[in-house]
Amino acid sequence: MNVLPRALFSLTVLSLLASCTGPRLLNFPYDPSGRGLNSQFSDQNPAIAGRYIVFVSDRRNSQSIYLYDTVNRGIVELPGLNASDLLAETPTLSDDGRYIAFTGTRNGATDIYLYDRTTRQLRNLTTNLNGQVRNPSLSANGNAIAFESSATGQWDVLIYNRFGQPINGWPTPASP
Amino acid sequence: MGLLSSAIALTACSPTPAPSGPVALDSRYNDEQPALSGDGRFLAFVSNREGMRNILLYDLREQRYLPLPRLNRRDAIAEAPSLSYTGRYIAYMASDSARPEVELYDRATQQTKILTIGYRGWFRNPKISPDGRYIVFETSNRGQWDIEVLDRGPGVELDLPDYQRPQPSPTSSSP
Repeated sequence: MNVLPRALFSLTVLSLLASCTGPRLLNFPYDPSGRGLNSQFSDQNPAIAGRYIVFVSDRRNSQSIYLYDTVNRGIVELPGLNASDLLAETPTLSDDGRYIAFTGTRNGATDIYLYDRTTRQLRNLTTNLNGQVRNPSLSANGNAIAFESSATGQWDVLIYNRFGQPINGWPTPASP
Repeated sequence: MGLLSSAIALTACSPTPAPSGPVALDSRYNDEQPALSGDGRFLAFVSNREGMRNILLYDLREQRYLPLPRLNRRDAIAEAPSLSYTGRYIAYMASDSARPEVELYDRATQQTKILTIGYRGWFRNPKISPDGRYIVFETSNRGQWDIEVLDRGPGVELDLPDYQRPQPSPTSSSP
């Protein structure tokens, strides 16, 4: 009996099967220095588009937004986005990674913010909206953003463009 | 079809409130956890219509709800939806067993699939990539919330606009 080649053959078939079938978790190394996707601190609220993953992390003693490049395997700097007086949550990003929207709390006021990586500008989209806002979601081109608003005393979904204007044509309640 | 007809019946029989202030999808119910499709045409959200929390899918262009057969079930809570580019794939949390699982719904086949079965720990906040291949979510494996990236594999049908070419992704090699 030629056992060894047979065992090798089975192993090869098994590994081929394992690599070709079904979902698998990708391995992004845990990095205690804070330059990886995961750190020794809480890393939350991930969103993925194209090569980028945007998320919230406590790794530098404040809750801030981070952008991870899955191709270069490193953190991308976001100059002008995080500030010591801004608590950031629930980020979302456009397909090309240019726009990042998130919920930010500053001086007790919670708003939806939009960051443009090209111009490095941070814009508050909901300065004129009363009540709380949360859970923004960007379209792939970054032109539309849906979020929750409590302006009417309960949670409703609003859709704005990236200039902070309600999108026209966003439906009113259905007619009878 | 049940959900669709109920939704139609619901909107058809109720008086139409005049929109005041910011224009909202509907002011009579709590609508939470909105998710836009990549193309901006579809909106998924969680609502307490019909007395229970369900995931609804709304076509913003046609201004109508779309049925999601087999997604919402009487014995389960579905929440935290996220959509691929044309809304074909919906990744969401489903609590129909002891542990909430990340599930994937394919509108083309109308099938649900548990993605986190066999993995250890607790999961929350799944988000699907616009092309539908990757799902990121949080796990509790190391005693804190960490981020995992699930690759559905090179064989899945991607949800892409026609003009879009393949982009760099977590499994392509570095330049």
